[in-house]
Amino acid sequence: MATTVVTAASVPAKKSSPLMTGAFLPRLLVGIAILLIWEVVVRALAPAYVAKPSGVVMAIPRVIADPAFWNATLATLTAVAEGLAVALVFGTMIGMLMGRSPLLERGIRHYVNGFYAVPMIVVLPLFSLWFGYSTNTRVATIIFAAIFSIIINVADGARAVPRDYLEVAKSFRSSKLSVLTGIVLPASLPYLLAGFRLAAGRALIGAVVAEFFLSVGGLGYFILYNSRVYKHNEAFVGVLLLAAFGVGFELLIAWATRRFMPWYRRGDKS
Amino acid sequence: MPTTYLRRHAPFWISIAIGLLIWEVAGRSTSAAFMVPFSETMRRLWQLVVSGGFFPALFDSAVLFVTGFVLAVGVGLPLGLLLARVRFLRIGIEPYIMTLYATPMVALIPFILSMMGFGFAPKVLVVFLFAVFPVLYNTVEGARSIRPELIEVARSYRSSEWALWREVMLPYTLPYTMTGVRQSIGRALVGMVAAEFFLSSTGLGQLIMTASQNFDTGGVFASIFVIGMVGVGLMRVGLMIEQHFARWRQ
Repeated sequence: MATTVVTAASVPAKKSSPLMTGAFLPRLLVGIAILLIWEVVVRALAPAYVAKPSGVVMAIPRVIADPAFWNATLATLTAVAEGLAVALVFGTMIGMLMGRSPLLERGIRHYVNGFYAVPMIVVLPLFSLWFGYSTNTRVATIIFAAIFSIIINVADGARAVPRDYLEVAKSFRSSKLSVLTGIVLPASLPYLLAGFRLAAGRALIGAVVAEFFLSVGGLGYFILYNSRVYKHNEAFVGVLLLAAFGVGFELLIAWATRRFMPWYRRGDKS
Repeated sequence: MPTTYLRRHAPFWISIAIGLLIWEVAGRSTSAAFMVPFSETMRRLWQLVVSGGFFPALFDSAVLFVTGFVLAVGVGLPLGLLLARVRFLRIGIEPYIMTLYATPMVALIPFILSMMGFGFAPKVLVVFLFAVFPVLYNTVEGARSIRPELIEVARSYRSSEWALWREVMLPYTLPYTMTGVRQSIGRALVGMVAAEFFLSSTGLGQLIMTASQNFDTGGVFASIFVIGMVGVGLMRVGLMIEQHFARWRQ
C-alpha cells in the first residue's frame, strides 16, 4: 500500500498540478494506508485483544452509549478547565508584574524557568503527600503543569510593549494600574495566547498522568482501567477523544489568533 | 575579572540565596511530613549518595533517556528530511504528524504496559514516543518554510540533488529541527519519569516512588531536587543547541 502512495506521489511532485494544491487526496490516501497497515499488522502478529481500527470502530457505539465514559470525560475536562483558569489568572498577573518590574524579574526569573524545566510528573508523589489521593491533587498538578508557560510568555509580552505607548500614557499621567490593564495586558495578549496554547497541552497531559497515578475517575483512568481488563478497543476510543481535545485546543487558539489578532505573526514560542 | 563576574552574576546568586532561605524557613516552620528544609534535603541526598543507591539510579535513568532520545532523533530527523523533499507525501502525512504531536502520549502507556510488560524495551518505547514527534513536526514545518522560488532557481541553474540539499534544504530545515530537538529533550525527560513511574520501577523514578511510599518526605524532596536540576541542565543544553543552529536562519 505504501509503495503505491510513493509512486503516485513522485509524479505530480515535479510539476504543480491541481492534484498537489488540493491537499485532500494525499491526506486521504495516507490515512487509508496507515489504517490498513495497522489493521494488517495487528491481525497478523498481535494477540486478539490488541486495538485495531476495525475493533475500535466497532467499540465506538458501545463506549458512546456508556454513561460512565461521559462522566469520566466531564470529570477530566472540568479539572482541566479549573486548573487552566487558575493558571491563567495567576500566571497573567505574575507574568505582567515580572515583565514590568526589573527587580521582580531578577528575583524570580530563575525560579520560573527552573520550575518550567522540571518534568511536571515528578511533583505527583509530593502533591499526593500534600493533598492526598484526591481530585485536589489532580487540579494542583494541572496548575503546576500550566502556569509556568503562561508566566514566561506573558512576561515576554509585557517586556515587548512598545515604548511609545508607555510614554504617551505617562505624559497623560495615567496610574500604574491603568497602564497595566489598559496597555500592557492588551499588548501582551498574543503572547498570552501562545503561552495558553502550550499550557493547554501540558494541562491535558498533567490531568491524564495524575489520573494514572492517583486512580481518580476521569478519561485517563477510563483508559487505564479498560486496558487493564484487556478491552483495548474501548480504551482506544478514550485516546481518540484525548487526541481530539489536544488538536481542538490547537485549532481553537490558532483560529482565535487569526480572528482577533490578524496583525500578529510570530513563530512558535515554547 | 572577578569583580565583573560578581557584578554580572550578583542578582542571580542573591535571588538563589533568598530562595533557599525562604525554603529553609518554610521547611523548619512546618511539619516534617509536609515539607523539609533545604539543609535536610541536602543531608538526605548525601545519605542516598553514601548508601550507594543514588548513582546506580542516576545511571539507569540516563541510559533510558539517552537510548530513547537518540532513537527519536535518529528516526525523526531522516524521516522529516525525506518528507521535506517528497512534497506529496509531506502534504499527506502532515495532518497526522500534527495530530500525534498534540496527542498526550502518556495515554498510550497502559497499552504499552499490557502488550509489552515490564522490561527495558517498553520504557524505551515510551521515551521514544514522547520525543519523536517534536523533531518530526518541526522538521516538516521547516521544510514548509522553504520558498519554492529558491528550489526553482537552484533547478534552473541545473543544481544537482546533493547541492540542492547542501545549499537549500538543510540550511532551511535544520534550525527548525533543532527547535524540535530542544522540545524533545524536555519531553523525553517527562517520558523517562513516566516510564519509571508506570512501567517497571527503576532509576530516579523508583527513588521518588520508594521515598513517597515510605512517607520519607526528605527522600521525596531530595530526588525531586535532583530531577529538577537535571531538567534545568538539559534545558540549557537544548537552548545552546538551538541557538547554535539559529544563526543559520538569517
